[in-house]
Amino acid sequence: MATLAPLLLLIEDEPQMRRFLRATPKAHGYQVVEAATAREGLAQAAGRNPELILLDLGLPDLDGLEVVRTIRRSARTPVIVLSARGQEQDKVAALDLGADDYLTKPFGASELLARIRVALRRSALPPGAPTEPVFQTGELRVDLVRRQVFRGEEEAHLTPTEYRLLAALIRHAGRVSTHRQLLEEVWGANYADQSHYLRVYMAQLRHKLERDPTRPRLLTTEPGVGYRLRDGEG
Amino acid sequence: MKRARGSHWWRRSRLNEYASSVGIIALTTVLALLLRPHLQITDVAMLFLLAVVVVAYRHRRGPALLASLLSIAAFDFGFIPPYNAFQVNDAAYFLTFGVMLAVALTMSQLTARIGEQAEDAGERERRTAALYALSRELNADGSLQAQTTTAARHISADVGGEALVFLDGWGKDSQGQAWPSEGVFGSLAVRVAATWAYEHGESAGWGTSHCAESETLVVPLRAASRTIGMVTVRPESADRALSETERRTIEALADLAAAAFERTALAERHERARVEVESERLRTALLSSLSHDLRTPLGSIEGAASSLLQGDLPAEAQREMAETILEESRRMTRLVTNLLDMVRVESGSLAVQKAWQPLEEALGVALLRVEERLATHPIDTRLPATLPLVPIDELLIEQVFINLLENAAKHTPAGTPITVTAWQDHNAVVVEVADRGPGVPAGEEEAVFRKFQRSSGADRVSPAGGSGLGLTICRGIIGAHGGRIWLEPTEVGATFRFSLPLDGPRMDAMPAELQES
Repeated sequence: MATLAPLLLLIEDEPQMRRFLRATPKAHGYQVVEAATAREGLAQAAGRNPELILLDLGLPDLDGLEVVRTIRRSARTPVIVLSARGQEQDKVAALDLGADDYLTKPFGASELLARIRVALRRSALPPGAPTEPVFQTGELRVDLVRRQVFRGEEEAHLTPTEYRLLAALIRHAGRVSTHRQLLEEVWGANYADQSHYLRVYMAQLRHKLERDPTRPRLLTTEPGVGYRLRDGEG
Repeated sequence: MKRARGSHWWRRSRLNEYASSVGIIALTTVLALLLRPHLQITDVAMLFLLAVVVVAYRHRRGPALLASLLSIAAFDFGFIPPYNAFQVNDAAYFLTFGVMLAVALTMSQLTARIGEQAEDAGERERRTAALYALSRELNADGSLQAQTTTAARHISADVGGEALVFLDGWGKDSQGQAWPSEGVFGSLAVRVAATWAYEHGESAGWGTSHCAESETLVVPLRAASRTIGMVTVRPESADRALSETERRTIEALADLAAAAFERTALAERHERARVEVESERLRTALLSSLSHDLRTPLGSIEGAASSLLQGDLPAEAQREMAETILEESRRMTRLVTNLLDMVRVESGSLAVQKAWQPLEEALGVALLRVEERLATHPIDTRLPATLPLVPIDELLIEQVFINLLENAAKHTPAGTPITVTAWQDHNAVVVEVADRGPGVPAGEEEAVFRKFQRSSGADRVSPAGGSGLGLTICRGIIGAHGGRIWLEPTEVGATFRFSLPLDGPRMDAMPAELQES
């Protein structure tokens, strides 16, 4: 049945880019519908009810951020925004408006597929669904019930703030979290601009959880945007 | 040297000279009277002649004339029979009187000439010293702006008034007639004098015979071909008189300054022309460099893609073609990124968004980004745990790390380590990226930061080469952060250091309730 293959909506004005974005997921069992403009994309989003939207931020007819806002008004459909390097502020704005993740052009096929998988997995869970009691990725194991953190067999002792930060990252596992999102979740809305709090605690977490804190594998930096807790998807 | 002679002083000195003249003759007369029994009359005449010579030598013509007349009178009265009367019996004595008079006049003439010559020499010496002092300082000044200030200061010091220098284009409108209506040109008389001086190339106003109602002296700045501006000199007080020599000194200083201004203006024009030629040369270099660097990967990509399209390649070859396309497009991405960064640095549109953060994070991102390409170079990072947060734009500083690391990898043989170290130095954090390769040839420490500077082929280890922009971009980015980047002299390898000042946006301390022990 057609419904078994997830339907992706691709909103992108460059034909060559569209060709790549269409061919790669199709080869991996997704269905793809395309739109070359924001208006057409919004119509498709409402009419076809896709399971995921790939949205280029630089569309000719409408501001990409406006598209994100419009989609979020009516649906929780995961949105992955695509943009060029140097447009970090747009990416952050799109993410803070409710986009799920982003890809910076140029990107490869494996990155694209990994982002799609993570975003679809998140949306497969009903809202407010309880997370797994134990989160595990690589060497890191977190018992979310007992609030215990292990690196391999060894328990890592985190301060309450460090633990809250790690828990917030686990809730977004695999996806990017902006500085603002993490600051609001861990310190509260009043501290949304104090990004140095976050950076200091992130460095502490890395020193406790990473083998080499200067080359983080788990708690990676998304330059100019935020952080991502890798969960084996890439 | 004090030059201003008040008229009172002048008059008093004159009187003194006459008094001294009278005194000397009186003394001589007394002496001659005492010696009269022992002297021939001719000896007495000699004595008076000596007195006249002394007076003429010491004083001017007036006192000398007085002395000779007094001598004649005394000689006649006291020593020529009949004694004690102004009567002369022997006409031969008139010759003696005539000689006395002639000697007095000649002597005083000679003395006056010597005096004038001495005064002239002193004046010349003084003027030469003033000119020399000015010329030495003008040569030391680099810019036209500094030179005008220097010239004004020297002329002011020389006359003891207020001197100002105006160059063409500062005070004059295009017709060359109007002067600014404020400051020294506030007075109409000065504006008239300035216009006259400018048109005639001669001084006007105070101390001259032209437009003398102007209370300020206006001296034109005469360069080789034309008048290029004005010096105005306003006296300290209105009743101060300007002597001819003083005015000539000012004019000489102005001429010297004018020559220096013209030289500097020419040099500045040449420098601008040279820079233009240089940037034209750079543009040409950019074009040829770009066309090569962009065409090469494009050629590989096109070739590989068309081979793939032929469809009859074995699987192994297909894979190779795809890898070529991937590698070459990544190379182009890097090149284009560098070019765009360069444009941002050069156009000054590099907006630095500083935020306080650990250096470790920016370095970490850079390390992951270069991981693949730097797989053959072990990178040793030594960031002390005590390193403070630094106010940086993370995206830009990452780029600095990436460029420095790629630069190090490019110029060193595979397997040699690269070390990244950082420490705090007063109010800055200093970061060092050191390799153990062949290093930078002596004398090229600054050249490596120039645009499109690539190391000579002999040092090139990796065939990948580079855009020649990496270090220039680093310098631009670090400069925009208020820091500086340089090549540290070392025995082995190349050691780049950059400093990041620890001043940036206000950093709110964490409230107590959020702190953890």
